[in-house]
Amino acid sequence: MRLIWDTLPALAQDIALLIVLLLPALLTGVLVLRGYAPWPLLRGFFGRFRWSAALFVLLIAISTGMGIGLLAQERGLRRGTAQAADKFDLIVAAPGSELTALFASVFLQPSDMGLVSGAAYAEIAGHEQVSIAAPLAFGDSYGAAPVVGTTAEFLRHLSEGQIEGRLWQDHAEAVVGALVALETGARFTPAHGVGDAADPEAHGGGHADEEGEDHDEGDHGEESHDHDHGGTITVVGRMAPTGTPWDRAILIPVEFVWEVHGLANGHAPDREAQIGPPFDPEYFPGTPAVVIRAQELWANYALRSEFTRDGETMAFFPGAVLSGLYRVMGDVRQAMSLMALVTQGLVAASVLTGLFILTRLFRRQIALLRALGAPRRFVFATVWAFSAVLLLAGSLLGLGVGWGAAEVLSRIVSARTDIAISALPGWTELHLLAGFVTLAMLLSLLPAAVVLRQPVVDGLRS
Amino acid sequence: MSLPLHVADLRLRSPRGRLLLDLPALSATPGALIGIRGASGAGKTTLLYALAGLLDRAEGSVRWGDTELLSLGSEGRARFRARNIGMIFQDFMLFEELGALDNASLTALFRPRSERPALRARARARLEALGLTDAERRVTSFSGGERQRVAIARAMAAEAPVLLADEPTASLDRANADRLIDDLVALVRTQGTTLIAVSHDPALLDRMDRVLTIEGGALAADEVPACA
Repeated sequence: MRLIWDTLPALAQDIALLIVLLLPALLTGVLVLRGYAPWPLLRGFFGRFRWSAALFVLLIAISTGMGIGLLAQERGLRRGTAQAADKFDLIVAAPGSELTALFASVFLQPSDMGLVSGAAYAEIAGHEQVSIAAPLAFGDSYGAAPVVGTTAEFLRHLSEGQIEGRLWQDHAEAVVGALVALETGARFTPAHGVGDAADPEAHGGGHADEEGEDHDEGDHGEESHDHDHGGTITVVGRMAPTGTPWDRAILIPVEFVWEVHGLANGHAPDREAQIGPPFDPEYFPGTPAVVIRAQELWANYALRSEFTRDGETMAFFPGAVLSGLYRVMGDVRQAMSLMALVTQGLVAASVLTGLFILTRLFRRQIALLRALGAPRRFVFATVWAFSAVLLLAGSLLGLGVGWGAAEVLSRIVSARTDIAISALPGWTELHLLAGFVTLAMLLSLLPAAVVLRQPVVDGLRS
Repeated sequence: MSLPLHVADLRLRSPRGRLLLDLPALSATPGALIGIRGASGAGKTTLLYALAGLLDRAEGSVRWGDTELLSLGSEGRARFRARNIGMIFQDFMLFEELGALDNASLTALFRPRSERPALRARARARLEALGLTDAERRVTSFSGGERQRVAIARAMAAEAPVLLADEPTASLDRANADRLIDDLVALVRTQGTTLIAVSHDPALLDRMDRVLTIEGGALAADEVPACA
């Protein structure tokens, strides 16, 4: 049996599980309603108790919807973060926290990190299995956008070559992420630091000029350069959306970052106008992180081993660090799933209690039916069908509420993290809902049974 | 189908043992119109419910034709009522959100599928006979008299040989009550239905063949009305 199950495609397994979960409710419905069609009577009940019924449906919809929305959101967040790290095969950073380096490199979260030296970088870049070794230089910003120094080949790798405009050809040119509010041709001066700690004057300005007029503020610190551009950068291109925090980043040649901080720009003085690798180790001021793409997939493991060196560098797979994080989140997810299940159980119990109360409301009508000769099974079927319709309506509405909740949460999280999150309810949520529907429908047999125990005469006189 | 009634030693006690109903004997021929009167709390409605088999704790014998009602379980009594007893209540007890026809043919919902169309057709015919031609109209828009007509149509749609009515005119004004009495009596006479009606309304009781007076749960008088 297990073997047959394992050979089924995932979709078939999901559909089969959904059917299995719904089957008890369906069979109960068929058995309870067999031979009867109490629909006009149900119409009467729903008409008479419309507000109570609507309140029930709403209660079920909101509670199931919140559970569905949260679970879908958690899955969407995992997918979104995994997708954001997709272009970062291997990262080498100065020894420290992998998580900090991951957040800084992939998610562009401000953090203090040590620097990878020029010698270490040269060794990485010169390795025969390395196809891209891109230094990342953080720490500057323009408005809310982090300004990141890197190389053109990393930019091409990140954007998969989809750039509107062109790549930089000068140290003082930038390519902006898809969501950065700077047009091609706009000029700006980055601030030193990020967020509230940013110092707009440190690099000589901090403002943009959409007209593209010249500025001459700022100097580059202790060292002078022939290509002094006054700390002002011109936007020359825009990346296609990547669904990652890099969509809000401004990418500039790493040389410019070093220059504005008064450091050597990675190249010997006779080649200081050069953009991109190779860099001269003696003139390489250090970089917080190096993103590596290997020639072959297997080589990543060898590179990780090779560049994990005590006191010098640490190499890690962002995917592996995220997996570790997901394991922690997995516990949270399990807790959330358990909470969702407990919540559904509590809702089912509340619904059950509510149905007991609600059936008291139509005690008189039930007594009338019995007085007119209705069999117990008909009365039972009518009361159960009433509950079943409420539960089904609430659950279907809950799916919509869950969808909406996931969508709203996705937008909020996306806006705060810049990670594209698509959190549509999936099979897991449908299975949860199906389980809830079946459980609740089985539980609602109880109030239907209890109604039959009420004395007819008491009902008629009530 | 005609069902003579024979009641013997019918007793009902409250859970505390107080005697609520004590009827040593009562008989009725098929098609008879019997009124029951008495002061409030005298046991009129209790007697009516006992005759319908609605009281679980009733003792003695209530025999309709060959059926000893009190020997049946609650499900057996419900089955008997569905075939043989129509009931009318003081406050109509209709499903307000449904139309007149849906109310009048309510019992079709728990009849075998093959019987449903015929019962629905009879319900429509009874409504028309009682002057209600707009059968689809929701009963919320009906007057009290019209609602009680719908209730009568419901009670008679199954062609039950016995009709038990509890204060059928109590919620109506005089004019409506008189019209309803005319229609009800005419209908049961035409159908040959046995009618047992609890009422304080002299206009209804005067049209009965017999009037029973109940006092303290016991039969105090069994009379033929003066104008019968």
